[in-house]
Amino acid sequence: MRLSLTARLSITFVVITVACFSVVGLLLFKAVSRRVYIHDQTNIMLDARHLRRLAQELQSPADVVAHQDRLIALMLGDQANGLRVIDRGGRVLIDRVPMGYELPTQPVVPADQRIVPASIRSWKDRDGNEIRGVATAATLQNGESVTIAVARSLADRTALLARYRSDVSLSLLTGLLIAVLLSYLLVRRALRPLRCMAESASAITAQRLSKRMPLKDAPAELLALATSLNEMLARLEQGFARVWQFTVDLAHDLRTPIGNLRGANEVALNRQRSLAEYEALLGSNIEECDRVSRTIESVLFLARAESPQFALQRIALDTAQELHRIADYFEGLSSEAGVSISVAASAKVYADRDLFRRAVNNLLSNALRYTPRGETIHLQAVECEQGIEVSVDNPGPGIDPEHLDKLFDRFYRVDRSRSDSASSTGLGLSIVKSIMELHGGSVSVRSTAQLTSFTLHFPQSPST
Amino acid sequence: MRLLVVEDEKKAGEYLKKGLEESGFTVDIATNGVDGLHNALEEDYALIVLDIMLPGMDGWEVLKRLRAKRDTPVLFLTAMDELEERVRGLELGADDYLVKPFAFVELLARIRTLLRRGPPRDVEHMHIGDLEIDAIRRRVRRAGQRIDLTPREFSLLQLLARRRGEVLSRSQIASYVWDMNFDSDTNVVEVAIRRLRAKIDDGHEVKLIHTVRGMGYVLDLEHEGE
Repeated sequence: MRLSLTARLSITFVVITVACFSVVGLLLFKAVSRRVYIHDQTNIMLDARHLRRLAQELQSPADVVAHQDRLIALMLGDQANGLRVIDRGGRVLIDRVPMGYELPTQPVVPADQRIVPASIRSWKDRDGNEIRGVATAATLQNGESVTIAVARSLADRTALLARYRSDVSLSLLTGLLIAVLLSYLLVRRALRPLRCMAESASAITAQRLSKRMPLKDAPAELLALATSLNEMLARLEQGFARVWQFTVDLAHDLRTPIGNLRGANEVALNRQRSLAEYEALLGSNIEECDRVSRTIESVLFLARAESPQFALQRIALDTAQELHRIADYFEGLSSEAGVSISVAASAKVYADRDLFRRAVNNLLSNALRYTPRGETIHLQAVECEQGIEVSVDNPGPGIDPEHLDKLFDRFYRVDRSRSDSASSTGLGLSIVKSIMELHGGSVSVRSTAQLTSFTLHFPQSPST
Repeated sequence: MRLLVVEDEKKAGEYLKKGLEESGFTVDIATNGVDGLHNALEEDYALIVLDIMLPGMDGWEVLKRLRAKRDTPVLFLTAMDELEERVRGLELGADDYLVKPFAFVELLARIRTLLRRGPPRDVEHMHIGDLEIDAIRRRVRRAGQRIDLTPREFSLLQLLARRRGEVLSRSQIASYVWDMNFDSDTNVVEVAIRRLRAKIDDGHEVKLIHTVRGMGYVLDLEHEGE
């Protein structure tokens, strides 16, 4: 069974309340009965001592009978008390037992022995009520000995304690009812912000991702939860927007070459053309197909890079050798653009060779596009505290700060109208970012008015 | 040489047949797995091009049953670029694979490589018209005239010469010459070819390096369409 938080908390409160009440009630009851017990014990003991002392001042049994009122007065007239004095012959000298219970006269505390609480005995009368009492011997002035028995019926005490017990139980029950009601109401009230949050959360759907949890009335404990939920929602909303934008951009990117294909073919078929024209058309068709293939390949690469099964083949790469190889690959292209490429590297990097080359390749081809004639692009690899940093620095017009953080987004082009979109898929930098994430690293970009610098951060290799 | 192409898509089958026949092969087409397996077992083919997604019996099954009886080289075509797919195909006994969409010249090159069985021999001296390539001393002469090439230019020329008459795609060239095994959106290869061509062909009547538009480059004494 799934218990609501309200029920759980209420039950907990009630259990605690009942436990406290019960313990307190029990302790109070114990304390009271203990007090009563000690009080009675002391009274019986003192009465017995008193009576013995008085009796020992009297001359003879006859004197005892004569002074019986004095002796009886010592018992304070309580109906529960009883007194019997008998002489050695078993003759009853005083018999004052208002409630009529038995007063055994054995065992007897000898006349010269002190009466202590331990001397007091306990027995039951005919009705099952407890009686406590003590019998003691007293030596009269004429040397004769009498037996004095003192007792007290505890019937009234039992009744008192029983009443007390039922009073305590009743207040316990009342307290319990109040506790149940109060804890339910209070807990419900305390948890109201939680219910409000649940209601707000259920109003958020894929179509209404811009909704947020209200933070205004949230108590401190829920504020952290609501805040992180809101942050999660913001990330989700961003993710949704990105996927949406990605879909739109992908469709647009595919529409352009397909439009070109269709248009060029339609125009060509419109009338008879020369063989050379047909050949040119077919060549151009293949170029458009290549463009679509490249976009698809890039999109698939990005998708695969996000799957946890992507297998990296990491090896220790000599960055100097790799960067020289890439510089060499670009040599023709860069010298046509009047740009030189310098390499300064000494570090080893633990990375997948093809992916490393692909990342640097993308950065370098990007740099080459923006470097003015006569300038130099610097490829560098240095070891730093966090790992290896590979950077591609190019002089040239800087990138506006507003573009910097979006630069690695898919299909993001600084200048949407750029005509070189035919040669670049707009996915190059996203692929760099993906490659770095696969390596547990990152890519960053800095740009001033004179210099743009992309840096690949590879984490420290596991062997060092 | 006789090839079998097992491909259910009509257009694809047609262009494969046409392209391969024009490259000097005799081509049979099977449009489903069952016919494909039957043909492959009954006839003697030099090589089989096998699509994986086929009606009747898929390519895996065809490959498995074929391998139980014959070891005709098989090149499989897959639309799924997943590593497991490729590994599975090679484990079942395929000799090579291509991911769709592929460049036709790429297919042609793979088929030729499989049929050659082994890498192209390193020829010490190659003569193409008045072009001489000395692979040992890495020297090149045209009409007796020494031509200075950078190491990369030499590798590029050597590749084209070894594969004389064969169209090589840009990605093939990037992979062989620079060991760059991914599709780049730069025109590095174009520029390299242009520079090599300037050194080899400029000032000569007969051009040796030809561009096949949209497909790639070829080195030969003459090439159609130029």
